[in-house]
Parts: sequence; structure tokens; C-alpha cells
Amino acid sequence: MRISIEWLREYLDLPESADRIRDDLTMLGLLVESVGECAGSRVLEIEVTANRPDCLCHYGVARELAALYGRKLRPVPISRALSLERERLPFSIEIRDPDLCPRYVGLVLDGIRVRPSPDWMQRRLEAAGMRPVNNVVDITNYVLLELGHPLHAFDFHRLREGRIVVARARPGQHFTTLDGVGRELDGDMLLIHDGAGPVALAGVMGGLGSEITEKTEAVLLECAYFDPVSVRRTSKKLGLSTEASYRFERGADRDGPVRAIARTAYFIRKLAGGRVAGSLRDVLARRIEPVRIDLRRARAEALLGVSLEDRFILSTLKKLHFRPARTGRGRWRVTCPSYRVDVTLEEDLIEEIARFYGYDRIPASLPPGAPAGTPSPAFRAECAARRILLGLGYSEAVNLSFADTSDFRMFGAGAGTPVQIRNPLTSDTEYLRASLIPGLVRAARRNFSYDRFDVRLFELGKVFSDGPGGPGERRALAILGTGAHTGRNWRQPAPGYDYYHLKGALEAFLQAMQCAPWAILPDRGIPWLNPADASILRLEGTTVGTLGSLHPALAEELKLKQAVFVAELDFTELVRHLREALPFRPPARFPSAQRDISVVVSREVPYADIHAAIAGMALPELAGIELMDVYQGEQIAAGKVSLLLRLTFQDPEATLTVDRLQRLGDNIRSLLRERFGADFR
Amino acid sequence: MDGAMDDLREQFEAEARAAGSLEACKSLRDRWLARESGIVTLQIKRLRELPKEERPAYGQAVNRLRDHVERRLEELFAKAKAAAATAEFLDVTRPGFPYAVGHEHPIRRLQFEIERIFVAMGFRVFDLPEIEEEYYNFEALNMPRDHPARDAQDTFYLGASKLLRTHCSSVQVHAMECMKPPIRAVSTGKVYRRDPFDATHSPMFYQVDVLAVDEGIHMGHLKGNLDFFLRQLFRPDIRMRFRPGFFPFVEPGAEVDISCIFCDGAGCGKCKGSGWIEILGAGMVHPKVLRMSGIDDARYSGFAWGMGIDRVAILKYGVNDIRHFFESDLRFLSQF
Repeated sequence: MRISIEWLREYLDLPESADRIRDDLTMLGLLVESVGECAGSRVLEIEVTANRPDCLCHYGVARELAALYGRKLRPVPISRALSLERERLPFSIEIRDPDLCPRYVGLVLDGIRVRPSPDWMQRRLEAAGMRPVNNVVDITNYVLLELGHPLHAFDFHRLREGRIVVARARPGQHFTTLDGVGRELDGDMLLIHDGAGPVALAGVMGGLGSEITEKTEAVLLECAYFDPVSVRRTSKKLGLSTEASYRFERGADRDGPVRAIARTAYFIRKLAGGRVAGSLRDVLARRIEPVRIDLRRARAEALLGVSLEDRFILSTLKKLHFRPARTGRGRWRVTCPSYRVDVTLEEDLIEEIARFYGYDRIPASLPPGAPAGTPSPAFRAECAARRILLGLGYSEAVNLSFADTSDFRMFGAGAGTPVQIRNPLTSDTEYLRASLIPGLVRAARRNFSYDRFDVRLFELGKVFSDGPGGPGERRALAILGTGAHTGRNWRQPAPGYDYYHLKGALEAFLQAMQCAPWAILPDRGIPWLNPADASILRLEGTTVGTLGSLHPALAEELKLKQAVFVAELDFTELVRHLREALPFRPPARFPSAQRDISVVVSREVPYADIHAAIAGMALPELAGIELMDVYQGEQIAAGKVSLLLRLTFQDPEATLTVDRLQRLGDNIRSLLRERFGADFR
Repeated sequence: MDGAMDDLREQFEAEARAAGSLEACKSLRDRWLARESGIVTLQIKRLRELPKEERPAYGQAVNRLRDHVERRLEELFAKAKAAAATAEFLDVTRPGFPYAVGHEHPIRRLQFEIERIFVAMGFRVFDLPEIEEEYYNFEALNMPRDHPARDAQDTFYLGASKLLRTHCSSVQVHAMECMKPPIRAVSTGKVYRRDPFDATHSPMFYQVDVLAVDEGIHMGHLKGNLDFFLRQLFRPDIRMRFRPGFFPFVEPGAEVDISCIFCDGAGCGKCKGSGWIEILGAGMVHPKVLRMSGIDDARYSGFAWGMGIDRVAILKYGVNDIRHFFESDLRFLSQF
């Protein structure tokens, strides 16, 4: 809302500088965003909050300043003679839908000469951001900007019958507003009719056909109170927001119409030569009682944390035109001015007291002691996961939660169906993501385009899916690696990031999270992963994630020039497999011994099977199995692979003898020979 | 006898001349002084086999030999160590091994930092879904359908009364529904508004919301809580300004500004010359919100506030384009 300081000075003495006024209004709750200069006046750009429609006008702002500075607020001149014994242009008003229009005030003036309005009025309109049109239109706009109450002027002779009927539209009814746009209405929208048909969309905009023109001689002024919700719905549905609808939907002053119309008549008489031709009609279809609130000083003190004097409370309320009546010690029944639609509860009055007491004067203190704080389990797990992954050299990404259909086509849509947004911003943000991988791959490609080819990222965030229980969400964790594994180095060429880097990071992560024993197994059926390395992570019988490189066809489609490795885990599920504390095993006091064996088996035998077979022997002395080397080549038969295993043996009670070690080794060898047809080198 | 010792001494000297390295010194020492079989040790052991009258002279000779060997070895070791230390200088100015370092996301860092501060202050962290019921996002916060305050929060709807939450303020309702006073609750996370993705807007951003409900909670407590928090988050000399503001779920409501961190309140381009930067919205929990969540508003009162975490990141790190946060550009991320 643009407020001209020059204009404000009409209503109160205001020697303060614009900067001072800016600061004082801001501290009263009317945030002044900027101070400018327009049409010869300093102009304040005020952000008026949705609860204060009474400040969407100069008089309202003047009222606040008068209360703050303790100055007299001058009344605005109005026309008092608004009725005639013998009307030249009689008319009638009928309200058929009092729920949407509790009050409608009309007045007819004739003898009007439409011409430009005077300079001073044009300048003020411009200062407030409105374009001058002609005197009649300018006057209604001026009164809107002055008193905040929207008015509408019809060309009386263009109304087909001398009557106003306020009634709901028929569903599907068409109406052309002043801006020339034809609109289809529904049965909850309110229209002003002239007897023969609609002439205005109530509280929003007038219609074509009855607007003021240069030929207008007589006007019917409308000043009404329309139901805020109805105006808002109409304005929203039609996508049509006007100065009038903006104020009506926030709540106009229900006691304001007569004064606003009298002020308009004053100007029309003075500036357009108009005379009353049809007496003021004030149709009150539904009475709205003034708001009365019980206020307790003790309550105000308790809520604000300060002690207050009755005198201060009373003077503050009176300055703001509230009418307090004492009902007991430190108790009042307060009648609120009709324009203060924001005040309906005791707390609202307490805010008024606080505003004038000064928020800044309320002393700060810490709230009383509270029970111990507790992090959420998710917060703890996320904190730990982030720290581990950061330590492993992966940077944290946060991508937008949106997805489009191509994401689902390329990377699948997860377990359920995608969650669709009813009112998306753009077509590529029409859905919520079902996986973190598309976002990370996009991020990698973006980095490639900046010549960053070594990319290691992770993201911890929600993924979404729709199911029988409605749209739902789960936490997911995704890791992406591509390019060089570590940074380039002068001592040795950096190894290219490969499957085992990803798997190693994932396993280091799981270990650091104190995860239950896991297995990573091949799964060639993951459509977006390369069958060569596509695999799944299983935890205690549940598949918790996938890992591998992007499928060559997908890499081709995305024009990737290097292999990109991705893993995604269901973090919500993973958290269920974390162990709070593992039982402590005392470190052995006796030396351990290592024996290396070279196992030659068919390449078809997965390493995990060999590992599992040895571990499955449950030898109490076996403390570790490591894969030290893998060899395929001339020195062994085709189709075979040689695995160098390092077995660590440890007896907690004694030093192992050479004989015993030999026997343990022999047992393992014969098991492998039996189970996998293994040879030994 | 002295002759034999002299021979040994000469033999030692000959070997010592060849012992340049530390390793050679060690084997020289072992060869001559080892506890069981060192050459000198064996000579000392022979003492017992000698007739009594020969022992003193032999003993002196052997001791001289041992002293000599020990002294010489000390010299040799010192020389060898010095030689070893200067044998080959590394170029220590070459880059170290490039261990991979992960970079924190600046907003996430702040998010966890904020939660940590509040846990330390006795608050319980609520982990709430991003898909929210319309009731919790709006109605229960005193924003009925058709409330003009909803305009400021253009919402993504998912259908069946579900939406993407437009703020974290619904923590107020969830906390009051599942806790009895005294309540201290905090929740952080992503929120969504139907804004285009440009330099100053994002359809997704982060918020923190805080709630305290207890007997006797007043506005001074709200100020105290914020004062403490903002000093922790920004810096200890930050000043705070409270002014009236409007949020449907609080009454009285407040807007909170901090002294401009760029100009210390003197007035600059960043604060539009005012010396203050708007940072968050706050207030006393609206009695209707308390009642709707089953709290007796005659007995209890509370404060609540909410803040955009992105906004804090923008201020703290001087980020000029909000899109940087959500594009995973390593040139951006690696600065954190």
C-alpha cells in the first residue's frame, strides 16, 4: 500500500520526517518497505498484513499515527443532505441473499459533468499509484484510498430499470466485466442486477454497459458490505483480484458505507456539479453486532511478562477508539470499532496494548526449566550417516523433490505409483520423486558440463509413493561416484572409480553405522543398472538397496561419456537394522597366526560362496578371511580363477601350534575341494 | 695378553671403518657387544676361567677394550644417524596425498546445528512428514479455508486433503497432540511453496519451527529464547528487534529483525539502509490453536516462532542465488 505523507497531513499535524515516520510505523506493525518520492510527496510503501484492512487507506494510517503521537485526528468533510422530499430519480434496492450482502447503501446524483479531476486529486492518486481517469471515477478511487471502503459508480441512465437487486448468479451464467473479459460464473458468486440483468460482480468489478463515460449525467453510487469469504472465493475462482476485492476479502468496515458515500457525494457535488436526485437508501439485510471483549489486566501482564497500569491500558485503548467500560478491578468490557475486524479476542486487545507499550521494551528472559531435550531417532541416524559419508569423501547434495515422467521411465517408479501434484508449477515438476538417483545423475551431468568429471555425492532425503493408504514418504540414501576415485596425484595415476569403490564405501558406511551383517548379491533384473554389476543389498532377509553402474543403454541415452556408479538404500528400513551396541569381546592375549592359501576354482563360483562355506564351518579358531589377490591368466586353466585367501587363526586360550594350524588349513582345503572342486597352487 | 686385546681393537677399528650406515652400526654393535655371543662379551666371560693372579690385568685390558668399543660405537651411531637424516631430502612442498573430502551442504549444516542448539536447551526434536494433512498445515493453525493469509503460502496439493507442507509450523499441533505441558518442541525440514525456481525463490526450502507451552510462558520468554538462539547461530554481538507482526496462529504476533550483519546496523544496500534484516516470525500461541490441540488455554500459554534456514544460509555465507543450494554444483558445495 502506497501512502503519501503529504496526504496524511490533511488528517493530522505531522511535522516528523519521512524516516522517522517510517521507523515509527514499522515498530507499530506497519512495515514500511521503502520511502520514495512521487508527485511532489514522500511516499511510504507499506506492507499491510492481511489482518489490518483498516490500514489499507490514508485515514487508517493517520489514525495509527494520531494514536502514537497523541494528536487530534481531523474528521473528513462529508455531505450531510443526502435525501430529498421529491426524488427526481427514484430507485430501489433489494437484497435477495443477505448472507453474502448484509448491507447495501445507494445514492443517486444527477447534473454531473464528467471531466478531468483537479490537479491536486490527480497528484494524490498518482502518488498512491493510481492512474487518473475522470472526475467521477477518480472520486470513487480517491475515497477508496482515503477511507478504505470500495465504492462503485453506475451510470444511472444505463441501468435498465431504476432498481438494484443483489442476488447470486445462476450456475454457468455468463458476465462480461469492465475489463472486457467474458466470465462464466457459479451459483456462489454474487451479482448486482439492475432489474433486467447483471451489472456488476459484487465486490470485485463492475460490468460493461453501465460504466461511467463522458456522457454520464447521473450516477448511482454503491457502497456495500459484502461477505469476505464470498468475495475471496469469487476473486480466486475467476483469477480476478482488484482494489475492491482485496479489501472486501480482508473485511471492510460494516459501519463505513454511509460515511464513504457521503464523502463521495461531497466531492461529486464540489468537483462534478452533481446534486442528490435519489435519496440515500441504506438497506441493512442482516445486522452485525459490534464486538465486545472482556479484558483483564492480569491476563495482559501474564502474557506479556510486564506489569501494566490501568491508566496506560485505558489511554491506549481510547486512543485507538476502543470503548472500555469498567467491570471490576483491572477488568473491562471493551467495545471495538467496526473497522477493526482483526480484534475479536482478549489476546487481540493485549496485542494492541503491547504495540503501544513497545515490543522492544518487554524484557527478555529465558523460559523456565524444561525436561531434558531429546533428538528424534531419525535425526540421530541422519547425523551419523552424514558424518560417515562426508568422511568417506562424498559431498552432500540436496536436490529438489520433484520428478517428471522421464525419471520414472528411466529409473523406475519404486514400489508404488508416483505421487502426482494436482497443481504443478511446470510439467517437469509434475510428480514427487520416487528415487534419489535421477536427481544425483542430473547433478553429475551438471558437474560434467562444468568440466568436473570426478564426482562423489550423496543425498539423504525423502522419496514418495502413492499406495492404498494415500501418498506416503520414506527416507532414502543415495550415493553416486564417477571419474577418478581420489583426486589426481603426482605419485601414481588415480584409479578410476569402479564398482568396488562404491561397494567399499557402502560397506564402510554400513560398518560405521553398526549395521547388522549384510550381503551384497548380484541381481540382473534392475532395469536402470548394468547387468554386469547390478546388485542388491540384503539385511537380515530384507532387500534394502541396490547398487551398480548405470545401464549402458541409459548411459547412451543420457550421453554419459564415463561410467556412473549409483547406490540407493531405503534409509527408513536400514535404521531398523542398526545395532545400538555389539557385545564386547576381549582382545586375545595369545598371538594369532596367518596362513595364505591359493584356491583355484571355476570363474562361475562367486567369492561370497567360498567365503560363506569357510565361515560356515564355524571354526572357533578362525578369526578372519581376507581376499588378497585374484588371478586369471596363463598360469592356470582357462575358465578358472585363482583366489589368494589369507586366513587368520586365533585361539583365545592358547598359542596355536604348527600342527594345529596345519590341520585347520587341511580341513578348509578339503572342504573347498569337496564343495567347489577347488585346486590349490 | 695386551697384544691379543690390541689385535681385537685393531680388528674392531677395521670393521668400524666399513660401518657407515645405521644398519651396519647395529650389526657391528651386535657382533661386538651382544649379551650372549658378542666378541667383547666372550672375552669378559673368559675372566672366570683365568687363574686368580692373572685376572686383574686381564680385567683392565678387557674393560679398556669394552670402553673403547662402546665409545666408538656411540660416535659411529651419532655419525650414522646424522648421515641418515641428511641422506635424502623430500620435497615437502609437493602436494600431500589427495584424500577425498566430502563437503557439507550449507543448509543441512545449519539444520543440524539448529537442532543441536535446541536439544541442548531442552527441546524435543520432532521428525514430521513432508506430506501433510490440510488440517495440520492450515485449519489447526487458525487458517481456515478462504483465509487471506493462505495467499502468502501458495500450496502444492496432492489430493484427498493431502498437500506438501508450506511450513514447519504444524509441529505446534503435532507436539501439543502428543505431549502434555511442559512442551518444548522443535522441528526442521523441507517445506514447499508454489513459487517459480529463480534467484530469489524456490518451490522447496528449509524451515525451523519452535514451540514452548507451559504455565506462565510469556512474551519475555519468547524474546529470551530467540535472543539466546540468534546469538548462538550468528554471533554473540548480534542485536534483535521485535515489532508487531501478523501470523494467524499467534497473538500477539511479532516480526523479528536482527542488526544487519553486513554493516552492523549502520545501514547498507543489503538491509535497504534500515540497519535491520527481517529474519523470522514469532508470537504467543493463538488461544484457538491451543484449544484446537486440546490444551487448556486458561491454564497454559506458549510461544512459537518459525524461520527460513535458507535465509540464514544466504545471510551467513552471502549466497546471492538461492538455486545454488539445490543444484549440487561441486564448485559451490566444495566451498563448505
